Amino acid sequence: MTHSRTSRRLALLATAALVGTAFAAAPVAAQGDLNVCDGEFEGPVTLTLSVHSGTNPGVYPDSVEAFNAGPGAEKGITVELLPIPETGYETAINAMAASADLPDAMYMDGPFLVGFAWNGILRAFDSCISEDAKAGFLPSIIEQGTYDGQLYSLGSFDSGLGLWAHKSMLDEVGARIPAGPDDAWTVEEFTQVLKDLQAAGKGANGPLDIKWFYGAGEWRPYGFAPMIWSAGGDIIDRSTMASSDGFFNGPEAVGAWTTFQGWVNDGLIDIVAEDDNNFTVGPDTEANTGDETPISWVGHWMYPLYSENVDDLVLLPLPDFGNGSKTGMGSWNWAITTGNDGVADSGDELDMDAVWAWVDWAISPAEVERLATGEGAIPSTLDGLAASPLHQEDGVMAMYVTNLNNAHADTTMAQAGAVPRPNTPAYKVIRDAFSSAMADIIAGADVQTILDDAVRMIDQEIEDAGYAE
Amino acid sequence: MMTSAAGQRPSSNAGGRPRISRDTLTGWLFSAPAVILISAFIVLPFLLAFYFSLTNERLISPRPTEWVGLRNYERILFEDPRFWKALSNNVIFSLVVVPLQTGFALLLAILVNQKLKGMVVFRTIFFVPITVVMAAVAVIWIVLLNPQGLINALMSILTFGQFQPDWLADPAWALVAIMITSIWASVGFQMIILLAALQDVPETLYEAARLDGANNWQQFLHVTLPGIRNPLLFVLTITTILSFRLFDQVWIMPDRPGGPLDATRTLMVDIVDTGLNRGAVGLGSALSVIFLVIVLVVTLIQRRLIKQEGDV
Repeated sequence: MTHSRTSRRLALLATAALVGTAFAAAPVAAQGDLNVCDGEFEGPVTLTLSVHSGTNPGVYPDSVEAFNAGPGAEKGITVELLPIPETGYETAINAMAASADLPDAMYMDGPFLVGFAWNGILRAFDSCISEDAKAGFLPSIIEQGTYDGQLYSLGSFDSGLGLWAHKSMLDEVGARIPAGPDDAWTVEEFTQVLKDLQAAGKGANGPLDIKWFYGAGEWRPYGFAPMIWSAGGDIIDRSTMASSDGFFNGPEAVGAWTTFQGWVNDGLIDIVAEDDNNFTVGPDTEANTGDETPISWVGHWMYPLYSENVDDLVLLPLPDFGNGSKTGMGSWNWAITTGNDGVADSGDELDMDAVWAWVDWAISPAEVERLATGEGAIPSTLDGLAASPLHQEDGVMAMYVTNLNNAHADTTMAQAGAVPRPNTPAYKVIRDAFSSAMADIIAGADVQTILDDAVRMIDQEIEDAGYAE
Repeated sequence: MMTSAAGQRPSSNAGGRPRISRDTLTGWLFSAPAVILISAFIVLPFLLAFYFSLTNERLISPRPTEWVGLRNYERILFEDPRFWKALSNNVIFSLVVVPLQTGFALLLAILVNQKLKGMVVFRTIFFVPITVVMAAVAVIWIVLLNPQGLINALMSILTFGQFQPDWLADPAWALVAIMITSIWASVGFQMIILLAALQDVPETLYEAARLDGANNWQQFLHVTLPGIRNPLLFVLTITTILSFRLFDQVWIMPDRPGGPLDATRTLMVDIVDTGLNRGAVGLGSALSVIFLVIVLVVTLIQRRLIKQEGDV
């Protein structure tokens, strides 16, 4: 009797130990599953996806609907779209992370990837995509999505920035039409063209439209930091990313801003426009009647509206402030978060395979075409680019591709091309400082004082948050 | 053995050990919900703010929070020109709006107090802005204050086209625009309080004054004002405190927090901009502690001044 009781006890003990080990091991094994693309996940799954509700509201709901009806239905994944206003988008994401309410997948504007990855709220997805597939993307897209050697995001398109213009009006004042970024107007030439247009009465409130009504936010550094890069300066010391002193308020920046302030003071810039009508139809609200604003300093997203309204639309490079015509690049991209609480391996993150299914869909050829052509943006895949007539060598937006092919982060290089915004977690404070400084400069403040104050704020923030360590 | 004054005498007992009277206990029980809520939502967050102000706490950060002592306070008081600009904006705003709004409210209250038919309609009209959420008021006034909007249309008629400022974008006029919006939105509140006070002044006093030969202005100075003294002082104090809380309009109306050249930057804007937009919770907490001290000092000064007038 004792013998069998002992052996039964032993058997029970052994079983308990085995089960206990299994339970202990399971979470470890499950964690490994959750954060790696191993091709399987437990469905059905609902995942939340945040996008910015901004310039092109219709495209994203369509894409989500198509996913839910197609691959989503097959695999048992439902995507719930969470639109967040574009102004204050990054603040909203930070607040959601602080209150453990992050979406499972998120859309974000290019330069913010580093900040979010540094804060630990994103998961790298190198395991989900092959090297071959990565090679099918524009190098700028891969560079934008890489942090600390790992791939954290992929975009469906890249961006382009330049001067849209009514060619007939430029011909009227006898302005030279640049052939490409290497041939851009110098700042002196550009100022003269603007003055000639103003003298000819073109543009009810100034011959240059800068979309000032977009308000505070990403448009300002995206659209106008290229002025500083073109002058040979920068907005932060990229070698250390620890200070913006001597750069944001450096002589090149002061020079560029002073020129810009001069344009405002001479009435060459339309800062009162409330919408796009000044360039497309003018005060008589009829297109192509000759009273429209001749030049618009804006990005690719205006192409659909502009091409519809302007018969003689032409795309020109930004003016050269001395160091080559520079322009912007980088755009919204998709990333996978570390779950609702923004903390890695805390148990609330969805299986990577499920969330990757959405990203995979958003970068697939059909969706790249849908999302990119919806805005006139540059498709992020080499195949997509080849299939887009607008971006071929004779296409209207060929200049954007030229700029991307000449992209370089070293702003001291005197070559025309695109420059990525600084890759630092401090980008958000730089953006906010740039946005404020630009408003103050347009309001007539002393340029050096304003830039010095911005530097004080940026450097203090970098030191406080430890961004450079 | 109930005492009439709650809690002033312990109920009698032979042993001499004081017991808490039922009145005291009842008093505590009744105030318990309020005390608990105030502690949880006001006292506790303030203590936390005080604690955070001595650290470098951030809204979201992968690094642990560190103790920094008084560094945040040094930064704000000695290195930040924006804080001083915000403070001076608040002071200017209060100095202008409090007397103006209170005076205007008193005028409206007197007008509405006339025993004429249909006064209720005017009373309602003047009070309606109070019922509208300040954020909605701000959005509506953005449209009105547009350089090509209604206000400037009125201005061009009144000044023959001479004076049509770009209200919200002009550093000189942005704060004035905020003041106009605030007064429009809040005057109804003071008006109603002063109206009630006016109606409390006995008619017999006015009769007596008229019999003594006092004209309208003398009646106002010597009967009305002393008669509504307490509510008037209450209105002044409340308006001062609320004017320091200026936030909705200055956050929504200018195109960036703080307005053109920081012309409309106020302390509340500074706190929210620092704590939420920049994610610098430690710095923002220090700002709110300083803010509390300022409002406290202002209120104490006001009470001091008022007491002295009362003694004369």
